[in-house]
Amino acid sequence: MNESNAPATYQLPEQMSTVSGDIDWLYYFIYWTSVVLFVAIVGAMIYWAIKYRERPGHKPTPTGHNMPLEIAWTVAPIFILVFLFHKGFQGYMDLAVAPANSIEIRVNAKQWSWEFVYPNGGSSPELHVPEGKPVKLVLTSADVLHSFFVPALRVKRDVVPGMFTTVWFQTTHVGHDDIACAEYCGGRSTGANGELPYEPSDDPRNPYPAGQATGHWAMHGMMFSETEEDYAKFLKSIGDKCDQFATTGKPCPADIAAEQGQKIYSNKGCLACHTTTGVPGVGPSWKGIWGKEEATNVGKVKIDENYIRESILDPQAKIVTGFGPVMPTFRGQISDQELNEVIAYIESLK
Amino acid sequence: MAAVDIPAIGGHEADAHGDGNAPYLTAKRGIMSWVYTVDHKRIGLMYLMMVSIAFLAGGTFALLVRLELFSRGKTIVDAETYNRFFTLHGAIMVFLFIIPSVPAALGNFFLPIMIGAKDVAFPRLNMLSFYLYCIGVVILLASIIGGSVDTGWTFYTPYSVQTANSVISMTFGVFVLGFSSILTGLNFLVTVHTLRAPGVSWTRLPLFVWGMYATALMQVLATPVLAITLLLLGAERFFGIGIFDPKLGGDPVLFQHFFWFYSHPAVYIMIVPGMAINSELIATFSRRSIFGYFAVAMSSIGLAILGFLVWGHHMFVAGMSEFSTMLFSALTMLVAIPSGVKMFNWTATLYKGSIVWASPMLYAMSFIFLFSIGGLTGLFLGTLSVDVHLTDTYFVVAHFHYVMMGGTVMAFLGGLLYWWPKMTGKMHDELKAKIGFVFVFIGFNLTFMSQFIMGSRGMPRRYYDYLPQFEPFHRASTIGSWILAVGLFTTGYTLLEALWKGKRAPRNPWGSAGYEWMTETPVPLANFRQTPVITRGPYDYHLATPEELATGWDEISEKPAAKKTSQATKKD
Ligand code: HEC
Ligand SMILES: [Cu+2]
Repeated sequence: MNESNAPATYQLPEQMSTVSGDIDWLYYFIYWTSVVLFVAIVGAMIYWAIKYRERPGHKPTPTGHNMPLEIAWTVAPIFILVFLFHKGFQGYMDLAVAPANSIEIRVNAKQWSWEFVYPNGGSSPELHVPEGKPVKLVLTSADVLHSFFVPALRVKRDVVPGMFTTVWFQTTHVGHDDIACAEYCGGRSTGANGELPYEPSDDPRNPYPAGQATGHWAMHGMMFSETEEDYAKFLKSIGDKCDQFATTGKPCPADIAAEQGQKIYSNKGCLACHTTTGVPGVGPSWKGIWGKEEATNVGKVKIDENYIRESILDPQAKIVTGFGPVMPTFRGQISDQELNEVIAYIESLK
Repeated sequence: MAAVDIPAIGGHEADAHGDGNAPYLTAKRGIMSWVYTVDHKRIGLMYLMMVSIAFLAGGTFALLVRLELFSRGKTIVDAETYNRFFTLHGAIMVFLFIIPSVPAALGNFFLPIMIGAKDVAFPRLNMLSFYLYCIGVVILLASIIGGSVDTGWTFYTPYSVQTANSVISMTFGVFVLGFSSILTGLNFLVTVHTLRAPGVSWTRLPLFVWGMYATALMQVLATPVLAITLLLLGAERFFGIGIFDPKLGGDPVLFQHFFWFYSHPAVYIMIVPGMAINSELIATFSRRSIFGYFAVAMSSIGLAILGFLVWGHHMFVAGMSEFSTMLFSALTMLVAIPSGVKMFNWTATLYKGSIVWASPMLYAMSFIFLFSIGGLTGLFLGTLSVDVHLTDTYFVVAHFHYVMMGGTVMAFLGGLLYWWPKMTGKMHDELKAKIGFVFVFIGFNLTFMSQFIMGSRGMPRRYYDYLPQFEPFHRASTIGSWILAVGLFTTGYTLLEALWKGKRAPRNPWGSAGYEWMTETPVPLANFRQTPVITRGPYDYHLATPEELATGWDEISEKPAAKKTSQATKKD
């Protein structure tokens, strides 16, 4: 489907991801359950209110007790609720756990724009993904809370400063949809001196022309699900850093961020204590640690973006078993960008 | 429980200052008699005035917000102003109107009467709560307007810390308001425990009182958390200790935990009183005891308890662990049970009743209609995977308006029309009240039904502008808000008109068996000419004598209740 925003049904937008079908099924299940309950309650209310209306000669019957009935309508909903909880949680876990082979795209949100950084190092305000491939987004914010929302994908995740959150999805066909910010993040429609009267545009891809609209509502972006070739073309168009390697004659690294991360590893002196060979030094080796469970003084932890971030900014928070609390904090000496690169590097040391 | 003497504890004013039998409105005159009053009825009326002004202000901002959204682009104001408008709308409606509306205004007025007491347990404390409320109003409004706060009523960090310097004073304002509601809550708890008239056993407690009791429990327990949040914000602000601000190593999600730990119980502080009124209305206008009295009373307590356990459901996509998410979803589902119990019991009460289609009953039935929608759409939001799509969209906005406005506000309006004769001594014009109702009902549904649809189609909330495909829904919603406004103004006018044009109200215009209708209209300063001895439940239409249903305990002072004491309570 090429026309975006054509609703799939009256209530829900187009389905573009592998999870949409399940979620919509559940939505409509709740919808019809609700319709039945609503009609039953309100129907009974109106019917009785008319049938037993006050009129001469009509007397109310004193209220009796009906224990079985009362127990029944206290207990019966539990079955529906358990079912909803179960299906909802299942769907939520599908949304939470990204497949291992996902393409990783980093998302930087700030007031009031999105930036998508691709594995080849290029960045763009648009999100392009290859059709039918799992994609994992790692989101972070430079300022306040935002929330990444693509209606057709049925995904939404808050973007929190000082923390990584992730979202993953797999599109089912070629098409596009709007990206919206769903967590209020302020904004204004006039410039600092009151200039720039704000005019929305009728161009669906650019409804809030750049430079004018600066606010929560205007964190609009486009998500394109496209064929492999189109995706490859897009990657080239945003300045594939591989070109630089082509001139030096070296092979293009799979992941530019990891390449940068390796530089930080040596420049910032991590290599004094950490090896990448599997042999522990003063600190644990980084080889193969990504995604592992590890024992620390506060129990088992999983090594992921947030854990590594914390290890670097606040090393004493969790001490890996078998090592001393000697790692210095790098808070204030390492940028969010560099953190991303170190993480990419550690991730690449499979 | 032995029959409780009504001791002087509840009736200083009546005892100390003369005639407890004089109508409370005219027992003393002059503005100072209001400023210094410790009479729960006068305090209730003053609260009513304050919350009505708050409702008018909050409603005006709502209309402005809707008007701005009528068309794409700028309609009346720019984005900065729009953001302040919706912040003011939310903050005023939540903190200044809906939380104090039922308990502080109607609760203050009727809770003591409905248990046959002369006043609340601590009349002076009651006065203090009222003035604290007034101070809170001033602090909150001053800091929102003075600081041009545009954060939304949730004040989420770090945005609130970066833009609004007044976030501390604002939270302080909310805290003072909260303190006022703690004191009211405390007062109600003690009153219900100690001042029930002889014969008012726990099983004869009017359901309105049960609801107030549950609400009071929540007020007393939840509000202190707000104080802790305030302390933490202050510690961060003044000592640079990183708590919520990521720049200092804090965690912004923690603020959300604190905020909702208070504000979620606050949601139940808002709805349980509405349900409490609804139980009264349904019983009176069905001429029948509420079906499953015990279940309805306990479901209020159940909601009060669950209210403390589900705050996390506001944060399913905020970056909580999967485990907490699962837990909060499961607990949230449980809320449906006590809510459902109430709906079923109310509806069953109509069965074989004698239904009077009076204006308060129309509001009560519309409560059932609208709250069903509000409650059932809660199922969508409690179901995790569906919530991910719907959260932070207009679907949520519509959901909580169906609950708060379709529930509490409808009940509040119904309650006002119902008790207006008892409070003011004047009857309103039923026809005008019904016309007002029709507009309110149609306007409300048009306003918020459109919001459900655009929400599920992916329209996020708190947007100054929107994509073209949402325009028809926004237009419908705005037009709905005008119809709603017409209805509310008609209703407000009907009530005010009664004051100068209304006929003198009889004691028991609705023919209710409730205790509050058994005393004179307007209510005497000491509520009853003498301490009533209660021998039947407040909904026992089959035990109430025809005179009671017509004129209440009219002659109670002359014929000291010979036949009433005969059946004196065995249960106690
Ligand atoms: C003075 C030695 C030292 C230096 C320099 C050092 N670290 Fe560490 N690091 C440690 C030690 C010791 C531990 C294990 C104890 C702990 O968890 O704090 C550790 C743990 C870690 C961990 C957690 C590893 C795991 O298996 O859980 C990460 C990630 C890490 N460091 C990253 C870095 C980075 C990035 C740098 C450079 C910017 C760096 N470290 C520099 C000593 C050091
Ligand atoms: Cu945003």
